[in-house]
Amino acid sequence: MTENEMIAQVTQAVMDGEAGDAAEITRRALEAGLDPLMILNEGLMVGADEVGKRFERGEYFLPELMLAGRAIKAAMEVLNPSLAGKNLTSRGQGSGRVVIATVQTDIHDIGKNIVASMLTAAGYTVTDLGVDVPLKSIVDKAEEVGAQVIAISALLTTSMPYMKDLIGLLTGRGLRQKYIVLVGGASVTEAWAHDIGADGTARNAAQAVTLVRELLKSA
Amino acid sequence: MTDYLEILERSNEGEYISEENWDLEKVAMTARRLVKKYRLEWDRNQVVSDDPPLADAIYQAGYEMAVELGAYSRSTERIIALTQAEIDDGISNTPQTLVMGEGKDARTLYARHLGDDRPPLFFGGPPGNPIPQLIFLPNVVSYVQEPLIDLATCGTLTEVDGHIVRTGHPMEIVATRRELQFMHAALNQVGRPGMGMLGAQSSVSELGNLAASQPGYLRPCDSHVVPMLNELKMDNRNFSRVVNSLDYGMINASLPCVIVGGLGGGPPGSAVVNVASFLVANITCRAHYHLLHPIHVRYVATSTREVLWVISIVGQAFSRNAPSIIVADIYPKSGAGTKELLYETAANAIVNALTGSHLEGCGSADGRLPNCSGLEARLMAEVALASHKMKMTLHEANQWVLKLLPLYEYIFVQEGGNPGLPFDQVYDIPSIQPLSFWQKKYEEVKAELQGMGLPL
Repeated sequence: MTENEMIAQVTQAVMDGEAGDAAEITRRALEAGLDPLMILNEGLMVGADEVGKRFERGEYFLPELMLAGRAIKAAMEVLNPSLAGKNLTSRGQGSGRVVIATVQTDIHDIGKNIVASMLTAAGYTVTDLGVDVPLKSIVDKAEEVGAQVIAISALLTTSMPYMKDLIGLLTGRGLRQKYIVLVGGASVTEAWAHDIGADGTARNAAQAVTLVRELLKSA
Repeated sequence: MTDYLEILERSNEGEYISEENWDLEKVAMTARRLVKKYRLEWDRNQVVSDDPPLADAIYQAGYEMAVELGAYSRSTERIIALTQAEIDDGISNTPQTLVMGEGKDARTLYARHLGDDRPPLFFGGPPGNPIPQLIFLPNVVSYVQEPLIDLATCGTLTEVDGHIVRTGHPMEIVATRRELQFMHAALNQVGRPGMGMLGAQSSVSELGNLAASQPGYLRPCDSHVVPMLNELKMDNRNFSRVVNSLDYGMINASLPCVIVGGLGGGPPGSAVVNVASFLVANITCRAHYHLLHPIHVRYVATSTREVLWVISIVGQAFSRNAPSIIVADIYPKSGAGTKELLYETAANAIVNALTGSHLEGCGSADGRLPNCSGLEARLMAEVALASHKMKMTLHEANQWVLKLLPLYEYIFVQEGGNPGLPFDQVYDIPSIQPLSFWQKKYEEVKAELQGMGLPL
């Protein structure tokens, strides 16, 4: 099997959302002597890009996104030891840590899950705290894992004030400048994000990934 | 029916599964398998399905999913297994008629059949739209003063007396009670004090709901929402709503907002999940009636092709196989003051009315702005009644929707959406009547619909 064929298989495993295959093919590719950066950039990330595009076009749905995220995660566990010390920013894939959560009292998670899946697929290390997460837990976890980005979501208008409260908590603890804070949810607007002192918002998951990439680059 | 305390017990003692595995390995994989097994497909140009065997297959697949999966307790990460006998029991016990409201204003909801001689009923109001306190009362009046509106609902209060409302905070209690005070004031103002309500929209957690379960707020003849979380999930908040209503006697409206393009996959899988959700909600939400409100994964609106199809096929599936009281929400993308809102409302009204549902609306502007008014609810009822009166067939309904879609479909990809204007910029507040420009747009659209052959 040629290098290109192996890389194509890695891409396909991500697109098929097959975690076992993605890990196994990655392992074989490494054993065959393929450059781990090539496996990452030309295999896994190409698959992730394609899954994202198909989702945006309405050809793929949430399960495909989540399964692709799982496949990439499984492959990265195989790949990570070989990537130690490599420059991971050559193709613009993520190398940051993101803590993501739906804020306390809100239990809506589909949009948050899509963003988490696409960030994972884009190579970021995502800690997803789930829904209805107390503000203190979000900040504590960000500190614990050394995150650069805190991404918070709320669908309910009456949960949105907690986003402002989170920024207040960061400020109160003297941590505001340490984090990029992104806010999202159906009712969140750019004006709202600006008013509460967040660093940005995005209209969809693809834009969220771009925003994280840009903000981390300029941080 | 299964003792509800037994359901609560299962939520504590059932099999453990992580939420991610419930989502992917249970819901998503089961939906995929059933879509393949029953060969379920949809056609973008057949928005109103006219395929009875397909409706039956969707029902069978949903039934199979309900029996196989049961529900999930997010609070405890446990599966609430339900037996086939329990699902069947839930179906046999689902009300076929339901009186809401009291006195001369009471209305009887009923399980609709396809081609039913009886017209559908209408809930008027913007369910969940955030409405400023200053215009809350006139906003509710704008709906309940409409003679065709049978039952009332409303938006949510996000501020009370200048104080921001936070879910789960004592202000939620204040907001929910204030909302219901406004509702009663509105019903009294229009001389319909006994009108039934779907209320406590400002209550997201159980706090407001519990605080409003008093005759001065939500009466036993009113209903409240018991949401089911995406997908097939309950939590202790929503169990608490049910427990409260069982004792108090309030009417339960189940609300599983299935995401079309979410865990169920495309429209066929999402329809299967919606059928399963209603069947499970008979037990876990103790549903007296069901709110049919699928959400488009990207565009939210119920007026998209995908969501219209799901509404049409789920309504038919139940009418043909397990008649139940279903109220289908209308959540258009566009806001008040725009013609597109009226076209979206018309398309949704035709679909909802002809496929076995009663109607509720409109949560204009995706339900996220105060850009909503009673005028679009008037059109909702007029169009639904006209399509019912002319005995529109499912095939004709599809032709109608295909004519309407090009008049609004472009706004789904329009930068910034099509939010329209807030209520106080489309209605004269002192008189609570539409401003002339908004009235004119309504009359123009109505004339267009009449010109197209709708007996309005």
